[in-house]
Amino acid sequence: MKILIADDSRVMRQIVTRTLRQAGFGGHELIEAADGREAHDLAISQKPDLVLSDWNMPEMTGIEVLRALRAGGVDVPFGFVTSEGTDEMRKMAEQAGALFLITKPFTADNFTDVLGPILG
Amino acid sequence: MTTPTIDDLQAITEQVWLSYLDPEGITPFLPSEESPGMPCVLATVSVTGAWDGHVVMTFSQKASRLSASALLGMEEEEVSIDDIADAVGELVNVIGGNVKSLLPDGSLLSLPHVATIDEGVNKWPAAVEVCRLQGSWQNEPIAITVLTSKSSG
Repeated sequence: MKILIADDSRVMRQIVTRTLRQAGFGGHELIEAADGREAHDLAISQKPDLVLSDWNMPEMTGIEVLRALRAGGVDVPFGFVTSEGTDEMRKMAEQAGALFLITKPFTADNFTDVLGPILG
Repeated sequence: MTTPTIDDLQAITEQVWLSYLDPEGITPFLPSEESPGMPCVLATVSVTGAWDGHVVMTFSQKASRLSASALLGMEEEEVSIDDIADAVGELVNVIGGNVKSLLPDGSLLSLPHVATIDEGVNKWPAAVEVCRLQGSWQNEPIAITVLTSKSSG
């Protein structure tokens, strides 16, 4: 499977990559976006099987990316990996069509629990 | 209104250290009286909306370099200024996001801002301190402060 990791922090993209490996999902193809606009464009051009997106990013926020994708008929499985996990944001994410919201800081176990049913 | 406390900061910081900076539990963040002096590296995020204020992390220069080294899995001497800014910015983003979760709905978190201060003073004229956790990591001082705007506090 192809996974798009969207986060404006290179450090966090690297941590997500490392955590995917630690959670046993190291065999998947990974592509990266450094802001929301790039995430949106790559989600269309590269047709990933899953998007793991930060919420708070320059150019477009993660929720704006998700809404734009859905409005454009792109139904790629989409989940958030974000430092903000309020009920308000979870509700907003769910209403926009997100499958999950993983809060930072996360562990490999969090990834296993949430991504296992999706990545197999 | 729920206001973050030093116990909240300590719990959040412990989680961040265990997840990212000290997963083996060998070099924990240890609360202490020591405060980072000058020069220092400052990383901040602002919260605006239902609650207005700032979450500020202050690192000794060495602590900021150690943080980037640990987060990126690189040798300390290999990390660049950009790596340091990215690393401490992400740390304050994660801690700030968790602090925001304790605040009323309807607040927005900014993107992180990072600066190096060589000398002088670090003033927040329109804000008051809500709580402050200071300590050391690998013998280098780090402080985490929550400030609220005077009108919001």
